[in-house]
Amino acid sequence: MDYAIDVRDMTVAYREKPVLWDIDLQVPTGVLLAIVGPNGAGKTTLIKSILGLVKSAAGSVLIHGRPYSEQRSNVAYVPQRGSVDWDFPTNVLDVVTMGLYGKLGWFKRPGKTERVEALRALAQVGMEEFADRQISQLSGGQQQRVFLARALVQDARVYFMDEPFQGVDATTERAIVDLLQSLRERGRTVVVVHHDLQTVPEYFDRVMLLNVRKIASGPVRDVFNEENLRATYGGRVAFVSALASKDDS
Amino acid sequence: MSPSTEIQLIAVVVAVACALPGAFLVLQRMAMMSDAISHAILPGIVLAFFITEDLGSPLMIVGAAASGVLTVALVEMLRKTGLLREDAAIGIVFPALFSIGVVLIARYAGDIHLDIDAVLLGELAFAPFDRFILAGVDIGPRSLVIMSAVLVVDLVFISVFFKELKLTTFDAALAGSLGFAPVLLHYVLMGLVSVTAVGAFDAVGSILVVALMVAPPASAYMLTDRLKPMIIISCGIGATCAVGGYWMARYFDVSIAGAMATVAGIVFVLVVFLAPDRGLLSVARRRVSQKLLFGRKMLVIHLYNHEGLPEAKDECRVEHLEDHLRWDHQFANRAVKSCISNSLVNRDGSLLSLTEDGRILARQALVEF
Amino acid sequence: MEWFTDIYLDYTLRTVALGSALLGITAGSLGGFALLRRQSLLGDAISHAALPGIAIAFLLTGSKAPLVLILGAALAGWLGAALIASVTLRTRIKYDSALGIMLSVFFGFGLVLLTYIQKMPDANQAGLDSYLFGQAAALVQRDVMVILGIGSAIMVMMVLFWKEFKLISFDADFGATLGFPIHGLDRFLTGLFVIAIVIGLQTVGVVLMSAMIIAPAAAARQWTDRLGRMIVLAAIFGAVSGVGGAITSGRVANLPTGPTIVLIVSAIVVISLLFAPNRGLVFRRVREWKAGKNLRVDAVLVDLYTLASQHSSKDYPHSQRVLDVMSTISGPAKRTLHLLETLGLARQIDAQNWSLTGKGVERAQSVIDSQYGGKLSQ
Repeated sequence: MDYAIDVRDMTVAYREKPVLWDIDLQVPTGVLLAIVGPNGAGKTTLIKSILGLVKSAAGSVLIHGRPYSEQRSNVAYVPQRGSVDWDFPTNVLDVVTMGLYGKLGWFKRPGKTERVEALRALAQVGMEEFADRQISQLSGGQQQRVFLARALVQDARVYFMDEPFQGVDATTERAIVDLLQSLRERGRTVVVVHHDLQTVPEYFDRVMLLNVRKIASGPVRDVFNEENLRATYGGRVAFVSALASKDDS
Repeated sequence: MSPSTEIQLIAVVVAVACALPGAFLVLQRMAMMSDAISHAILPGIVLAFFITEDLGSPLMIVGAAASGVLTVALVEMLRKTGLLREDAAIGIVFPALFSIGVVLIARYAGDIHLDIDAVLLGELAFAPFDRFILAGVDIGPRSLVIMSAVLVVDLVFISVFFKELKLTTFDAALAGSLGFAPVLLHYVLMGLVSVTAVGAFDAVGSILVVALMVAPPASAYMLTDRLKPMIIISCGIGATCAVGGYWMARYFDVSIAGAMATVAGIVFVLVVFLAPDRGLLSVARRRVSQKLLFGRKMLVIHLYNHEGLPEAKDECRVEHLEDHLRWDHQFANRAVKSCISNSLVNRDGSLLSLTEDGRILARQALVEF
Repeated sequence: MEWFTDIYLDYTLRTVALGSALLGITAGSLGGFALLRRQSLLGDAISHAALPGIAIAFLLTGSKAPLVLILGAALAGWLGAALIASVTLRTRIKYDSALGIMLSVFFGFGLVLLTYIQKMPDANQAGLDSYLFGQAAALVQRDVMVILGIGSAIMVMMVLFWKEFKLISFDADFGATLGFPIHGLDRFLTGLFVIAIVIGLQTVGVVLMSAMIIAPAAAARQWTDRLGRMIVLAAIFGAVSGVGGAITSGRVANLPTGPTIVLIVSAIVVISLLFAPNRGLVFRRVREWKAGKNLRVDAVLVDLYTLASQHSSKDYPHSQRVLDVMSTISGPAKRTLHLLETLGLARQIDAQNWSLTGKGVERAQSVIDSQYGGKLSQ
């Protein structure tokens, strides 16, 4: 079977303490996958190790059958909002244009073509009017949309997103979900580190439960159940039963 | 006492006096404040000098402390505007203050020997010749008397407020809620840094003050986790740098202050490599011995995860380990051999399977997280 | 005006001013990136760490040629920066401690070397002193040529790698996923930084160098939100401070150049913090005051309306004192009432009493509609 994402035996250790143990993850094409787990479970580390941002002790990553390093132009990354200083002197259009730097390569400056593409991506997230806005003036939801536009402009086949729904208003959340689902309709694969268990069944097709090691992964219907959640989060999930039963309906 | 002994004594006193507030600066991640303050106190000293016309007056200490506190206040003020980050604020405030000091000296005190060189660099070698005469009695070198007084002030402050300092260093929020006024304590600590810096100016200059406030405590931090031992070790290391620096300067006939800073650096490098537990050599050695243990655990967990699954036949082969775990051939063999000899794994051709012991280890290892 | 003709006619002054200007431009522009990457104090550490490099360069080659000394300083500065990064990464020592240690230890070692050199026959460390204290006044044509050459090379690099530098300063991780070698770029940018610092040492000296780098950029940041403009403005501020400092210290007796430059650029920072539009504190205060004023205008308007609605007509007058009591906004209503009058929304009936005009009634109604959904709370 041809997987969009094929991760084998990913292991990451920090000062001899394991953060991720022997993770296997196979993601078929055209799927919306959520990665969930408690704090410190290694969710962000998993994304970062797949993208080569963090050194791994072991493991390999194939994107559509080829190593990640050969597939960078087909992979887009949406980091956590807090990973960047929003007081940086730049505007919305500029940030989105950065998504095209890879295509431009060394030294070439973005020109009119790039500007048009960036505006188009901004339109997809409903932010074209904000193109000239200084990024420090944006709300949380607006910041998130800008980051998304930056990824969209790359027109990648695979998307990795780290907590895109964290701290955004309801309208933005709805807009992002619609966007992700339209990506899926177009045959793209989207992996999302997600913090809100309640919305997993509603937003995603597949889910991976992670706590340093993989507890389970697969279609939400099959995998997102009380037993697995308990194994992932330990005993402290009173709402797990409520979630699982919601899923059953 | 011979001049040589006196110099060493002064140096030791300076080092210990610097190590005391320095330990807290290092722990509170404010090491660079020592640099900022030791330069920014210049205008305070100069103004005090203009008032008293006496280089030896205690008003200099007051002027310095005021200048130091002013520095901290200005930095805070700038930071609070939200327009500048803290590091930028520091990098702008202290040069501005230092420049004011230099300009004041150049314009109004050019012929007095408040020499910039001395301010920056100091010269311990001359210290024994400047005596402190009280009521006709030669008590000792002026630097020694002053620095001893500063040392006493440092010691008193730190002993009296030890609990509060400890709390504000490690948990400022909690300290605040308990009513310990961490902000006030912060300013007093900075005042202490200023006083120590001005006392040490004469002898060693501002750069060495930084070296003695940061390097010995940082070295001590590599050796221990607890506050009191860290302070004591800092003082010990500081004293060593003082004496060692003196003899190095004697031997090569170079600047004593520079030599002390150099020795502080050498000690730091030694500690970084040789510290037990946290030193680089220790870490490397542990990593090597841990690697095999780690390898065994990884192998066992890997087998455990794939046991009984349809891919087991592929995943549990020795060659697979080399491919997917990115182990080289040698290490893969060592890991497998180690597992087999520890009765964790059975080998059948190139297919590996877990023993019951192996399964137990895997489960244990997984639960550890 | 004499000052300008002075530059023209006086060769030395011209040289010093030019050299200082060039250094100001180089340090100021790179300082923009340093500011954004929170490397202000790194500049301070690197300038101190450069000292032993200068001494060693002299010891090895016996030459005091600027290029030789600059090379030595740059290598030492670069080594210091690398060690800081290494120590912070591999041990539990934090960044600020690493800075402090490298700064003081390298500098102390440099002192040792300097005093060693002093004892050598024929060696006189006069040329080396200028790095410590910045003796812009000692700049000669040769120095300026070197500065011009190196400074231009740095600026060219900055322009060439502009988008790459912007990328790693804003979101390095993202840049890595695009395939850019962010560690290499980081080291390259730091390298340029080291060189800019090292050539700048000659104007202001070790202690003040951090201000030369950060202050122009910090000031520039307040005036614009675009990176390009910020860097250009920083360069301009740097140049102005450099030239201004050179000229001022040249004309005023007993005024050393380095500190004068720093004081000028610090003044520029203060002015920028206060008066820049948008970010400036003065404008912020004015904006807040205006917003507060708007709030007061609406509040008093609504109060007048509320009071009046308990009577037969909407423009029934009420006394100022009643309004004071009603108002929850601090400050006497009198000033606001006068303002309302200027706006044509209220009318002063007699010494104490005021009432709404027709326009005022309309306006009050629309405020209530938008704020209270059409209903007045009772």
